[in-house]
Amino acid sequence: MRAILSFLVQRVSLSLVTLFLLSVMVFIAGQVLPGNVGRAILGPLADMRAVELLNTQLGLDRPILVQYWDWISNFVQGDMGTSYIFRAPVAPFVFEALGHTLKLAAVALVLVVPLGIAAGVVAALNVNRPLDRIISLGGLSATVLPEFVTGIVLILVFGVWLQWLPISAAWPPGAGLTTQIYYLILPALPLFLVLFGYIARMARSGMIEALDSDYVRTAVLKGLPWRTVIWRHALRNALLPTITVIASQTTYLVGGVVVVETLFRYQGIGSLIFTAARGKDFPILEAGILTIGIVLSIATLLADLLYSVLNPRIRLGGGR
Amino acid sequence: MRKDYRTIDAIRRGRTEIENHLIDGVVDGRISRREFLRHGSLLGLSLPLLGRVAAATGFGVMPGLAYAAGAAGATIRIGNSIPSAAIDPVTVADAGGLLMLQQVGEFLCLDGPDLVLRPMLAESWNPNADGTVWTFKLRKGVKFHGGGEMKADDVVASIDRLADPANSSNALSVFKGTLQKGGARKVDDYTVAFHLDSPSGNFPYLVSSDNYNAIIIPAAYAGDFEKTFNGTGPFKLEKYTPKVGASFVRNEDYWGEKALPARTEFTFFADLQPQILALQGRQIDIINQLPALAGVALLNDPNIEIMSLKSVAHQQVHMRCDMDPFTDARVRRAVALSLDRNKLAKGLMKGRAVVGNDSPFAAAYPSADKTVAQRERNIAEAKQLMEAAGLGKGAKAKLTTERYLEIPEYAVLIQNAVKEIGIELELSILDQSTYYGDAVFGKSNWLDSMMGITDYGHRGVPNVYLSAPLMSEGSWNASHFKNASYDGLAKSYIAALDLESQKQSAGKIQRLLLDETPVIFGYFFDFLTAAAKGVTGVQPTAMSQLYLDKASKA
Repeated sequence: MRAILSFLVQRVSLSLVTLFLLSVMVFIAGQVLPGNVGRAILGPLADMRAVELLNTQLGLDRPILVQYWDWISNFVQGDMGTSYIFRAPVAPFVFEALGHTLKLAAVALVLVVPLGIAAGVVAALNVNRPLDRIISLGGLSATVLPEFVTGIVLILVFGVWLQWLPISAAWPPGAGLTTQIYYLILPALPLFLVLFGYIARMARSGMIEALDSDYVRTAVLKGLPWRTVIWRHALRNALLPTITVIASQTTYLVGGVVVVETLFRYQGIGSLIFTAARGKDFPILEAGILTIGIVLSIATLLADLLYSVLNPRIRLGGGR
Repeated sequence: MRKDYRTIDAIRRGRTEIENHLIDGVVDGRISRREFLRHGSLLGLSLPLLGRVAAATGFGVMPGLAYAAGAAGATIRIGNSIPSAAIDPVTVADAGGLLMLQQVGEFLCLDGPDLVLRPMLAESWNPNADGTVWTFKLRKGVKFHGGGEMKADDVVASIDRLADPANSSNALSVFKGTLQKGGARKVDDYTVAFHLDSPSGNFPYLVSSDNYNAIIIPAAYAGDFEKTFNGTGPFKLEKYTPKVGASFVRNEDYWGEKALPARTEFTFFADLQPQILALQGRQIDIINQLPALAGVALLNDPNIEIMSLKSVAHQQVHMRCDMDPFTDARVRRAVALSLDRNKLAKGLMKGRAVVGNDSPFAAAYPSADKTVAQRERNIAEAKQLMEAAGLGKGAKAKLTTERYLEIPEYAVLIQNAVKEIGIELELSILDQSTYYGDAVFGKSNWLDSMMGITDYGHRGVPNVYLSAPLMSEGSWNASHFKNASYDGLAKSYIAALDLESQKQSAGKIQRLLLDETPVIFGYFFDFLTAAAKGVTGVQPTAMSQLYLDKASKA
């Protein structure tokens, strides 16, 4: 217990340092972006007097350190500031977009994790046979296809021609969870295709390695049924690297699916940050990135904990 | 054509000298019917009166806005770009935002699809003798959605707010040099007089839908437009969600004919491709703005109707007159001569464009002098000019531009064209904000580059195109063109009240610019709107506004 606690303290402190550095980097990156905020809001052809006035009103003529301190001190107290562009508090934008992103990520993960692992296991059990080839090559091909290609094909087939699924992921106001999931199936599919190959390949190689190990051979030799060998001995060990891959792909699902969000008109945090960066809306940009940083720190922490639970050989913190 | 002189004489009585000069012009054939309608509307002659003059001179009746009468009660669904900032009449600067303003707001006058001004919140207007004071008579009985009648105080406050340098107003550049804060003055509750800094023959355009910020809102406006969308139009706000969309419902208290649709629903898209797919999948009925090159998939789709509107939007290709090799006007002319404009219009705009003649005077402007010869591709002459300029062996240059619409493709076509006359052109294609930079000299790739391509939106009159990018002190003079004769001509064009004086100055300007060629105006492209088959009565403007009050769907 003490080991776990010390591990947690160590990891959380490390995360805080990382988040602090991230906040500084985001802030600096915001400053060095070309162009200025007033100009971005008022457009390229606005009068310079109007642009300068707006910059003053937004407090952008203050020293950078003052601006940073103002922002970060409010942020840690839960105030994310006011959007330059929308002239409204940032927090509802960020939390709503984050909620959307997490929902899409959840639908994608629910589809891809069991199917990816199952496909990997099936491939490993049929190694070098046609089924293995189909799964491995099919998965690899789907992974290398960019989401905007698979997305457009899926929209054309299921949205335009067959009209089975809605093209836009934005569900109608007041929709229940089932409707929301229905709207999220089509956008989750391109993400599924990107991740399926990775997960299946990791599960396949982990499984092949496990099946080739001494403990599996022992289990087989001592007469355990094949199913028990697979479920209780091989799979548990085979999944360890797969979990790491899934955890690392969370980064992609949480911040990197701008293309899918744009294509399916989904208000996720990726597109929120992207439009904020284009419009030089620093309060949203900074709060958005920092929020993603926090979510990822938590996800990594959870993955580490899960890894340690599955693999008793890993000792937490200085427990050795 | 038979002319009814008795009616004409009756109409002439009681009209001002400028108005009668215009009527005489159409009677003796110096100006065409289209020019007459357009300029007459600018001078504030009412549409029925213009129709009577046109009929009396044998031209037939005045064209109305062509609407198909459809069934009432539909919900019309529109796809458009995400408004890039908060919806505020003072600051809105993008197509997505101005479309929202216009859904609920109305202007003193409307610049229609045929570039003819129509009364909207003003019933009539007229200038004084030298065009320094324009007086507008307001419509009575117009109610704001939030309550209260629209009166002169609201008009004065709305326009003053835009002309006030303390307000970071986007319309400041439109009013610059013409109207200052305090210039709009109430005469009585239903009359406003605009006192201008300098004479302007085209002033009504500056308070028309052409100046998309100029919707009339209550005098007491406190900067919170997005909460109420308080305007006077045929639709009022139901719901607005930033970044997501907006919906509007019929305004039952509207002063004019009530809108046909019960509801309109706007969905915001970050990109064009999803809009195209949504239209094909019948999840929206209309794409408000469809760039020809990117929207090519829809142009031949049998289920889609493309509405093509003549506009004067264009891309300006500037060449720095103070930077080698473009210091010599012969080199600039040679570059212009190397371009095949018809091919540009066909290839880049799928034929939905008209060729330009290296001046802002697009054929759509009645003041354009049509007798000026069109510049055609002529490689032999271009090579001779290069030779005469001492560059027979060739030259090197760099073109900097923005990644927007068809501009990168245009840049490549120019690069290929000038290769034929020995110019090796290096291209630098930047994202829009990097290209515009701070939009002031010394801090902008746009204004500092040796050569560049810049997008210019539609304007009902060429005043802005004539001044900002071409006058010696123009704030967008990317070609650094300084020519005193040009400045004088442009000023007299802007000040001229009657069409013939405008035409005279226009002809001189067109010839001077052909000779100097600081900027290439290769083509003026149409404004395209795509609608699903069965959707009727939709009226876009080239300013990317969309009038839906007569819309219906099968």
